[in-house]
Amino acid sequence: MNPIGVEPYIVLSMVLFLLGALGVLMRRNAILVFMSVELMLNSANLALVAFAREWGQVNGHVFVFFVMTVAAAEVAVGLALIVNIFRERQSINIDDLQQMQG
Amino acid sequence: MEWLFLTVSFVAVLAAAMMLTRQNAVHSALFLIVNFGCVAFLYLMLDAPFLAMVQVTVYTGAIMVLFLFVIMLLGAEATTDTSGRMRWLGLAGSVVAIVLLLIFAFPIASNLLSSEAPDRLEARAQLRVINAIPGDETKIFTAMVLGSAMPLDGKVLATVALDARDESVGDSRIDDVVYGDSRESVRGYKEVEAGEYTVIVGVGDGNYVPGPVFTKDLAFPPDSAFSLVVFENEAGLIDVTVLNDDVGAPAVGMMRLTLVNAVTDRQVALVDVGQYTTRRSLCDDASCNSLIPHRKLIDQLPAGDHTSLELDEGRYNLAFVDQDHNILRTLVDYQADRGLIETRVLVREPGVPGSQASYRAAVYHALGVPAFGSPEAVGQVLFIEYLLPVMLVGMLLLVALIGVIVLARPDALAQAERRRVNRRRRVNRPLVSVISQQTGADVLSGEYLAKLPGGTDDGSAK
Repeated sequence: MNPIGVEPYIVLSMVLFLLGALGVLMRRNAILVFMSVELMLNSANLALVAFAREWGQVNGHVFVFFVMTVAAAEVAVGLALIVNIFRERQSINIDDLQQMQG
Repeated sequence: MEWLFLTVSFVAVLAAAMMLTRQNAVHSALFLIVNFGCVAFLYLMLDAPFLAMVQVTVYTGAIMVLFLFVIMLLGAEATTDTSGRMRWLGLAGSVVAIVLLLIFAFPIASNLLSSEAPDRLEARAQLRVINAIPGDETKIFTAMVLGSAMPLDGKVLATVALDARDESVGDSRIDDVVYGDSRESVRGYKEVEAGEYTVIVGVGDGNYVPGPVFTKDLAFPPDSAFSLVVFENEAGLIDVTVLNDDVGAPAVGMMRLTLVNAVTDRQVALVDVGQYTTRRSLCDDASCNSLIPHRKLIDQLPAGDHTSLELDEGRYNLAFVDQDHNILRTLVDYQADRGLIETRVLVREPGVPGSQASYRAAVYHALGVPAFGSPEAVGQVLFIEYLLPVMLVGMLLLVALIGVIVLARPDALAQAERRRVNRRRRVNRPLVSVISQQTGADVLSGEYLAKLPGGTDDGSAK
């Protein structure tokens, strides 16, 4: 068996998730915000795979598949939106996009 | 192992931090690719090779290429973050991150993650019952596996009705009369908790078990697989032979074949006859002084006995031969695939009484559980247990595809309006110029424009 237990993987996934959350909050570039979201999704995937190994069940892997699919769809739609917004306003700084502000 | 994990995770965290701090978006994307590669490596360490490959192809291959493509298409490499507003978000983000860290660290620090569950789940054995009772109009058998590991609780783990009148002699039909915590697994096995059991086979119908005709104490160690072959012994009584199925992979380039003799009154050997033959006997002549060329693979097995051998991959013409060199059954053009694990149970087929007996080599694949994390294991769970979610995710991808196409299209309404205005201007300009020259007034601007007669699409003024 693998000598490393589940805890180190969860700690790593936690750190990566927090880095991703920090990126979402601190960066103003829409593409970088998107990349940070991808980082968060990936850290969640890592936790799922670690727990799947710990419990000896493949279901965790299946959920990772679904997360990957949703991430792919989200990236495709999100990047298309970003391209459209850039075409309209010549900027992808998310602070400039305020027309939906109440 | 630890140093490997530490190195890879250090690189992953470093790459994530670099991604956050780079001003150039292309550099950020490249560092994110490094991070995804590290995560794929960790998947490999976590016994998920298939997911690791999917991670590389989907994330680093497809998604990040899309990111890089968009960044370069927009020329947004150097978009700065200095907008002046919302600077307090950085501080707030750090505070939130530290709070989240404390919340997440709590269960790990207080050791809530370790549990007894993995041990319980690993201590499971695979069990299946194979019916090899020769066909008869009168007998129905029920095999019960009773648990008596703990204080003799007599918990029924699996009840299997072996209906001898069923045409498919040689197949076990596992009814849903299952008590206790047993889960249906692939290839006819049932998962049971590892431990010691009393196996009872009774004669009766599927619901009612009178006196047992076979009772034996068996130990099922964890991660083992057993086949119980129910057959009729030479005394005409129901007997059970127990196979400890070796589910480990055979040697490279080989397949493993296990032969069970469930023919009551004959010994059975397995030979490779080389050429295809329609003979009923291995003998060269009537007095059987010499035999046709053949290669003996398995020596004579008494009834109820079993043995295994490993075959090189390739094609064979195999024959099951009894002690008098009669060929009971041939397997023509038998394909020995590498890595295959197969159990052949030789049974007598139900036939008309008095006619010549025919035999059948029923096949059972002994591969109990595919390796954890392998494509086969993931695929089985994905397409059997999670078929509906797979469909829904496919729909989601389709909807996303259509959405992207709609988004990427130039704005159709605005374009149509622009075209209409252009056409009107183009049509009216000569007329307007003429009027302007004749009157000397600047009719192209101001309120004159509204008083002009409307142009039609074919260019003629009303």
